[in-house]
Amino acid sequence: MSEGLNVIVCIKQVPETTEVEFDEETGRLKREGVDAVINPFDEYAVEEGLQIKEKYGGTVKVLSMGPPQAESALRETIALGCDEAYLATDRAFAGADTWATSYTLGLCVEKIAPYDIVICGLKTTDGDTGQVGPELAQHLGVPHVCYVNKILGIADGKIRLTRLLDDGVETLEAPLPIVISVSKDINQPRLATLRGRMGARKAEIKQITSKDVDADPARLGLDGSPTRVVKIFTPTPLEGGDVVEGTPEELAERIFQKLQECKVI
Amino acid sequence: MPEYGQVTQELRGKLEEIVGDKHVSESPEDLEKHAIDESLEPPHPPEVVVSPGSTEEVSAVMRLAYSERIPVTPQGSRTGLSGGSHPVFGGIALNLERMNSILEIDEENLMAVVEPGVLIVDLHAETEKLGLLYPPDPGQESGSLGGNISTNAGGVRGMKYGVTRDFVHGLEAVLPSGEVITMGGKIVKNSTAYSLLDLIIGSEGTLAVVTKATLRLVPKPRHTALVFVPFDSTRDAANTVSEIVRRKVVPYALEYMPRHAVETAQRYLERKLPDDSHPAYLLIAVEGNTVDEVESQLETVGEVCLEMGAEDAYVADTAAKQEQLWEGRKCLFDAYKAFWEIDEVDACVPRKHIPDYIEGAEVAAERHGVIVSNVGHAGDGNVHSIIARGELDEETWREVLDAVIGELIDLALSLGGTISGEHGLGLAKKRYLPRQVEEAQIELMRGIKRAFDPHNILNPGKVFDL
Repeated sequence: MSEGLNVIVCIKQVPETTEVEFDEETGRLKREGVDAVINPFDEYAVEEGLQIKEKYGGTVKVLSMGPPQAESALRETIALGCDEAYLATDRAFAGADTWATSYTLGLCVEKIAPYDIVICGLKTTDGDTGQVGPELAQHLGVPHVCYVNKILGIADGKIRLTRLLDDGVETLEAPLPIVISVSKDINQPRLATLRGRMGARKAEIKQITSKDVDADPARLGLDGSPTRVVKIFTPTPLEGGDVVEGTPEELAERIFQKLQECKVI
Repeated sequence: MPEYGQVTQELRGKLEEIVGDKHVSESPEDLEKHAIDESLEPPHPPEVVVSPGSTEEVSAVMRLAYSERIPVTPQGSRTGLSGGSHPVFGGIALNLERMNSILEIDEENLMAVVEPGVLIVDLHAETEKLGLLYPPDPGQESGSLGGNISTNAGGVRGMKYGVTRDFVHGLEAVLPSGEVITMGGKIVKNSTAYSLLDLIIGSEGTLAVVTKATLRLVPKPRHTALVFVPFDSTRDAANTVSEIVRRKVVPYALEYMPRHAVETAQRYLERKLPDDSHPAYLLIAVEGNTVDEVESQLETVGEVCLEMGAEDAYVADTAAKQEQLWEGRKCLFDAYKAFWEIDEVDACVPRKHIPDYIEGAEVAAERHGVIVSNVGHAGDGNVHSIIARGELDEETWREVLDAVIGELIDLALSLGGTISGEHGLGLAKKRYLPRQVEEAQIELMRGIKRAFDPHNILNPGKVFDL
């Protein structure tokens, strides 16, 4: 590993909000008047890329697909310490679902290759599907691991990592190159520094269009998206519920009683 | 000790008639709960806790207390730090928590009308929904507005916006006799006669019970950013503050934290802040209506920090990242309290004397063997010296604490400062008042107190002795 590792981090710019609003008619997200930020899950991906670089050497390239204004999100990753940033931007890319997105990202990853590890955030706060990472791996023809919460080590063309599942922690070893989707407990993302931000102002954000990657127009954007949004709605938050107060012992007793009443135990 | 009447069964019955059975309590839990605030003062349980729901009820309770000579201690959410809401002479704890409605947010006049039990955090949430801001932002967000008004609380935005007094334009208050008076209103200017409004603000509940307040709001700037800057010395940090001001940038907050505070925050939050290897830190918060406006302030702030010797600084631009940094500052009082027995001095000194005060406080701490963490609103000169017991035994701690508090107050006064910047004197600091003001002033204050409260029934034993 004397030359270090080539890492590519995929990010998306999303509206900075906890409650995403959308147009009920078209099902499109309302982005007007809301600031755009790096998808919070992708910040963990960027941080993990930087930590890999600090530990093993190499480079961290960042890739995003989006409108020209997504450049500001990429510039921010340069401020954080990433080496190069690429924006896949083309009218032909617009309206893509996760499949068309991952097809496009796959072509871009191959264009900016070589790569040992592609890191994605687990999901986006606006789309919330978690599909782009696994689909990207499919397009690239490399393995993929989701829910990664720790990289144990990278050596001899293999990566050892753990992932957090509902029923426990799984330790895996996989060959490189690989695509991983990281969860929020993998690290604590750093803040950009003043000097980093100053340097990033001048950085070049390279643009990639559909022509640059010889994309099949039929597989891009809205035309290349098999997904059809039938209905979109905000789930009603659960209401009611009992609030009980007391000492830990009292609470434990109350919960036990409640579970018995509900015939759960 | 003044002669006071007792809370008899008969009186209790009358109180129940006024506010309803449910809102009069003598339960040991309630008496215990209403015996303290968040200061280190020993508990002073009331004889009865009365929770009125309206101005009329407050007035009726006061009328009764006045005729029976029962001491009444107004209480908000009891988060004060100087014992101001301790019922020192027992009597009635007048709990205003039920009067917690935001009555109006007037977007044309930019004013909010609130009851005294409204929590600062709730007013902030409601005004922010409308793109408006009530700038006073004391660290204790669960504090009530009645309490904020009574102590003239400040908070982190003091540097740019001022303190509670600058935002209270109208008050309705109940006098000890039970009479209701209204002062000011939704008006920006007011030159009509003496300002009793300003007299009541900061009077720590000793002159009248605030039952309604009209508060000025400002448009909330759309964008903010926060910078966390490590420095090699307190002096470098302080010089940076002066230089930022000199370059005509007015951050909305400018906070100082020593390394001990950063370490304590990390321990309490169980996570790292961006840096913990420097002796001094500044948190600098800027705001503007456009991203460009914020970026240009950030640029100037950045230049100054680097010129003043900072190696680099960390920039939080999204709301979530700023919140994470702010948490490191705002948790400090709770963090110190979680690990040590603590007390505090909240002196305010002229901004340029902050390093003199901090260095002097550190010397005093060293000499007495206590931990003193000087956490400050560096932008306005208000330094919270958190004094923590550390390894001292109980007896030594008590002695040392008195000495340290006295020395810190003398130090602040010698630098042209004041005993309390925003917490008030209450019970804990009242004995230091003669060190700051002439006897003639205290005598005038006594006269004012007597004019409002001839029988000394409202929050007796606070601020100064009669």
